[in-house]
Amino acid sequence: MNALSDPTGNGGALVEARGLSKRFPLRTGVLGRREWRTAVDDVSFAIAPGRTVALVGESGSGKSTVGLMVLGLLEPTAGDVRFEGEPVAGRRGADAKALRRRMQVVFQDPFASLNARMTVAESVTEGMRIHGLNGDEAGRRAAAQALLEQVGLPAHALDRYPHEFSGGQRQRIAIARALSVEPRFLLLDEPTSALDVSVQSQVLNLLRRLQRERGLAFLFVTHNLAVVEYLADTVCVMEAGRIVERGDVAELFDAPSTETTRRLLDAIPSLDPSARRLRA
Amino acid sequence: MANPLLHVEDLRTWFRSPRGIVKAVDGVSFTVESGRTRALVGESGCGKSITALSVPQLVPEPAGYIAGGRILWDSEDLLERTWSAMRPLRGREIAMIFQEPMTSLNPVATIGRQLEEASTVHGGAWRAARARALELLERVGLRDPSATLRQYPHELSGGMRQRVMIAMALANRPRLLIADEPTTALDVTVQAQILALIAELQRETGMAVLLITHDLGIVAEVADDVSVMYAGQIVEEAPTAALFAEPRHPYTQALFASLPSRSRRGGDLATLEGMVPDPAAWPAGCRFAERCARRLPECADAPPWRSLAADRRVRCVLPGVDGGTA
Repeated sequence: MNALSDPTGNGGALVEARGLSKRFPLRTGVLGRREWRTAVDDVSFAIAPGRTVALVGESGSGKSTVGLMVLGLLEPTAGDVRFEGEPVAGRRGADAKALRRRMQVVFQDPFASLNARMTVAESVTEGMRIHGLNGDEAGRRAAAQALLEQVGLPAHALDRYPHEFSGGQRQRIAIARALSVEPRFLLLDEPTSALDVSVQSQVLNLLRRLQRERGLAFLFVTHNLAVVEYLADTVCVMEAGRIVERGDVAELFDAPSTETTRRLLDAIPSLDPSARRLRA
Repeated sequence: MANPLLHVEDLRTWFRSPRGIVKAVDGVSFTVESGRTRALVGESGCGKSITALSVPQLVPEPAGYIAGGRILWDSEDLLERTWSAMRPLRGREIAMIFQEPMTSLNPVATIGRQLEEASTVHGGAWRAARARALELLERVGLRDPSATLRQYPHELSGGMRQRVMIAMALANRPRLLIADEPTTALDVTVQAQILALIAELQRETGMAVLLITHDLGIVAEVADDVSVMYAGQIVEEAPTAALFAEPRHPYTQALFASLPSRSRRGGDLATLEGMVPDPAAWPAGCRFAERCARRLPECADAPPWRSLAADRRVRCVLPGVDGGTA
């Protein structure tokens, strides 16, 4: 690829992690010697606009820690994250604020991630107000209403509180809030793990449509491999802080080359009772 | 055929609430036979956990109460027993494990003490209890059982804690194990180990298992028979293989169609429009009708059970034939 078609020199990636590592201090031993736990070890990947990279692995494999570092919410011990070719770390003032607008997040638990004392309208317009989007309050309210419509919630939801909604509806409010500042990248950390399957399908359809319409890049952190197969383009398998295998989803699931991936795949219950493995 | 170990018949478990009577479980019937696993599958709020709690009569009182039905245990109706007359059954013949083992274990007692208590509470000798505890921990596959005996719950991983819960449940060789979402809080790899362990112990002891889950994959892996619940009722009942080959109730079909998979990439997954009706005011007719794509005028009346085979039935006037998983 020549310099003209790829001005940032990163292969067209919107978000790029390069050699990310994170060590946490455990305790200070005798003589002040510190012990460390390496949570993330030399993790690199790139996500192009409109594409989805999945980070999969068991609890404690470091996948959520990677997500926090990508957003700049946790400082890496080594390595860096670039957004549109520019480093995420070390930004101040307006520069940091501009980045926050472009990178948003949806977490697992929509009960915990929405402020219980704010109406849906307040939650969804808060980011717009901070970033000075959509003119005045009336304009922001209209924009919030349009967003709710996009995520499939009625207009009268605006003046209600989170407790008045089901889990799936709350997750859609959280998605509307993330979209309110026109991000280009979404970190999705187990976005459907707390939802029933018939509700999960609504949220997955919504995410897929929004990605198509807006060219969003997704970093999808999950342990649910069935969802990965449905939604992701590239998958990175993590174990003990490292990416042990990566590749195109279909290729990697058909021919896993590491024991970690095989173990994860073998553990997924099949939907074919005649092929059960856990019980003879 | 001999009488099943457990036969729940037209069970109604209701709750008093400021908004009126909430009929969480409203006419549920199923059987569980020794050596077999019955799955109760359904989504949040369908009443599957309350059904499970009703069997050993552990529904939270005074808000909740069993308003009707029979719970036949070896043909004896347990609802005729007083609460205290249930005690010899609970934990001895009927054992339960739950989703979150951390909240089921006592945080300030060692694993050893809790296991000893489990084997002595029904009259076992303390002296034998320590040896029995060690044997149980070995049996559930803990790597260093004698070290685990001295540990506290917070020192164990989620998978180890669930193994301890299973050890405790098995302490008195129960005839029925009720497992309510036993692996929902665990990693998939640990989930597979725990499900395999339960199946293995079942083969050994011949106990019956009532498995409560929302996960059709788990049902496919371990259940012999399935009851699908929706809005406080069972809507479809079948042997596992038959249900997965050809789900017939529109709700069951929708559940299968909403599952993400590789073959569905690039297309939308099926969704269910609308919401489950209000449990304080169930509709008089079919409770799924409002969300059903095949709704007919007669769905305004309560749908009758339709028998599809000797061991298969569905609560629908128009059971579908499409919507298989293949």
